[in-house]
Amino acid sequence: MISRLNFKAAASALAFGIAAMSGPASADPEPGEYKIGFIAEETGPVASAGLSFLHGAELAIEHVNAEGFAGEGVTLRMEKKDSGSDAARSVQALTQFIADRNVIAAACCILSPVAGAMEPVATNAKIPLVLYGATRPGLPKLPYVTSIVVLPGPQEVKMTQMLAEKLQPKTVTYFVNADNDGFQGRFKAAQEVMEKAGIETGGVVNILSNDTDFTAGATQAIGTNPDLIMVWTTQTPAGGIIAALRNRGYTGPISASDVIAPAPMWDRIGEALVGVPFPVSFAAEIAETDEAKAFAEAYQAKYNAVPDNYASQGYTAIRYIAQGLKSLDGKPTREALAQAMAAITDIEPNVYGGLPMRDGQADVQKALIAAWTKEGKIAAWEGN
Amino acid sequence: MYLFVEQLVNGWAIGSLYALFGIGFGLVFSTLGILNAAHGTYASWAAIIGYYAVVWYGVPFPVAIVCGVFGGGIIAILVDQLGFQPLRSRRVGLLGAFITSIGFWIILDSLAGFATGQQSLAFPARSYPNALVEIGLIKVSQIQLTIIASLIVVTVGIHLLIQRSRIGAAMRAVGWNDLAAGLSGVNSRIVILLTAFLAGATSGLAGVLGGIATNNVHFSLGEGLMLKGFAAVVVGGFNDVRGTAIAGIMLGIIEVFVAQYISTAFRDGVTYTLLLGFLILRPRGLFGSASFVRA
Repeated sequence: MISRLNFKAAASALAFGIAAMSGPASADPEPGEYKIGFIAEETGPVASAGLSFLHGAELAIEHVNAEGFAGEGVTLRMEKKDSGSDAARSVQALTQFIADRNVIAAACCILSPVAGAMEPVATNAKIPLVLYGATRPGLPKLPYVTSIVVLPGPQEVKMTQMLAEKLQPKTVTYFVNADNDGFQGRFKAAQEVMEKAGIETGGVVNILSNDTDFTAGATQAIGTNPDLIMVWTTQTPAGGIIAALRNRGYTGPISASDVIAPAPMWDRIGEALVGVPFPVSFAAEIAETDEAKAFAEAYQAKYNAVPDNYASQGYTAIRYIAQGLKSLDGKPTREALAQAMAAITDIEPNVYGGLPMRDGQADVQKALIAAWTKEGKIAAWEGN
Repeated sequence: MYLFVEQLVNGWAIGSLYALFGIGFGLVFSTLGILNAAHGTYASWAAIIGYYAVVWYGVPFPVAIVCGVFGGGIIAILVDQLGFQPLRSRRVGLLGAFITSIGFWIILDSLAGFATGQQSLAFPARSYPNALVEIGLIKVSQIQLTIIASLIVVTVGIHLLIQRSRIGAAMRAVGWNDLAAGLSGVNSRIVILLTAFLAGATSGLAGVLGGIATNNVHFSLGEGLMLKGFAAVVVGGFNDVRGTAIAGIMLGIIEVFVAQYISTAFRDGVTYTLLLGFLILRPRGLFGSASFVRA
């Protein structure tokens, strides 16, 4: 008897299969098992996100194999190595994958500096490397290094404009990572939008990535009497800052980035996150497309958890490689696969309702603005 | 002005955590002669034990604190007996114990990573008192007041224990020369066990309270406390808990004020410059006795 969970998983795979088969016809690669080197980040400073990426990728492997998506008789197998978000360990893992000629492509990296260190290694070894989490613009180097990460810039600009219009603040105070170029850039982009709208900067509270106590920072920010506080920091500090602001009695609006979207953040911080808007390219609870719903159901069935944005990115990275592999004929080589992937202009199927690739970089302009509800669910944020 | 006073209290609370940790660290160094690199992991483990006591068994806040404190103390005893006692019996010096402690640090750190799934956890918001208390015109959270009060109680308690009690006299005697203390009728083994427990328990208290106050129970929690706690001990003086307490508070206040009025970028730089300054100009610290030496 097929269990309910298995039935759901099979139905999800079928939904993806139908979506996949509706694409253009192509020649198949030689049947066989192809390995994908997955550099995971199950340990280290961003381990909670790393687990989501990994689970998404594992699910994609299952789906691709169940659908026969990569070609007749073609199956994918994940070879996983944990890097702990350490650049040296990541490079070491990639070097090992390079040495294994059965590894046809690799995927890696949540942190941009780590991704930056991987790029020359992949390019020199001529192995396709898909970045699944690093958000710094300019990381892809065609044809070997590509990125399926929806860059946060346009989404965050959209959210900032929405905040300016709906909340009409007079002053905004910002929290920003002083030691993270990526978040410095994201903060400056938001500040520019606000200042163009005539909204003054009340203050800028700099924090460091390793900080854990934000009581003093929260006191400093509240002391500027802001109408809105925007938090542009990495995940662990973002949760701590929002909790500290609420603990210090701040009841005004706070916004953050997509780092507060994963479920473990809700588990850790809880009610302090309620109503804090953040932009996100995928949220299972408010996803509208059939592919997104099927992905969410399959993920829930396999992991008994709601997939977050990171899971969708891990999933997409594998589907992207499979799509490239599918387009090849005969015995695939790493070089041919890299060229095929570089030529992809739309990743199909995808969970975003459209995922164009431009110069090896995912390029999605639309964004969902979401917030946690009191029930611990993600809902669309409407400005109240 | 309110901002200044509130930040003063914030610094006092953070500094109290550094001091609590430093008291345990200094106790081990001054009594047992061990520069214990694994000491930070006692705080991490105490926070983890307190967290699971709340999440798995739903124990109230004070019980969670007690679980963490005892957990830190027991781990300290285990490390001492498994790692340092064999070295002690062979009269291996400070360097041997330090290298052993690095081994324990790595092992306990890795195990703490497994225990937390490498994730950052947090005590449930309703499991501890965290309402804001209005004192005059400023607001202070209950957990900050708890931290500040804890340091005062621990400092006074351990100071009286060491300076006014027979056990304290025995601890000081073992700190000077355990062989001579033994010949004078002091049971060195018991003193060593008690010291290890006290050191682990006080640092464990810093770990649990720090984990609660920062919404961050992480396997590397103790590493941050280790650096600042060490600074507090050096600045305050290794063999005087009062000095460690005052130096810890001072470091916390300086840290907060530098971030508030100068720049976050200089915050840790100022702390460690102060540490370096004391190491060079006044190595015995603010309150350490001039005759205190550790070979």
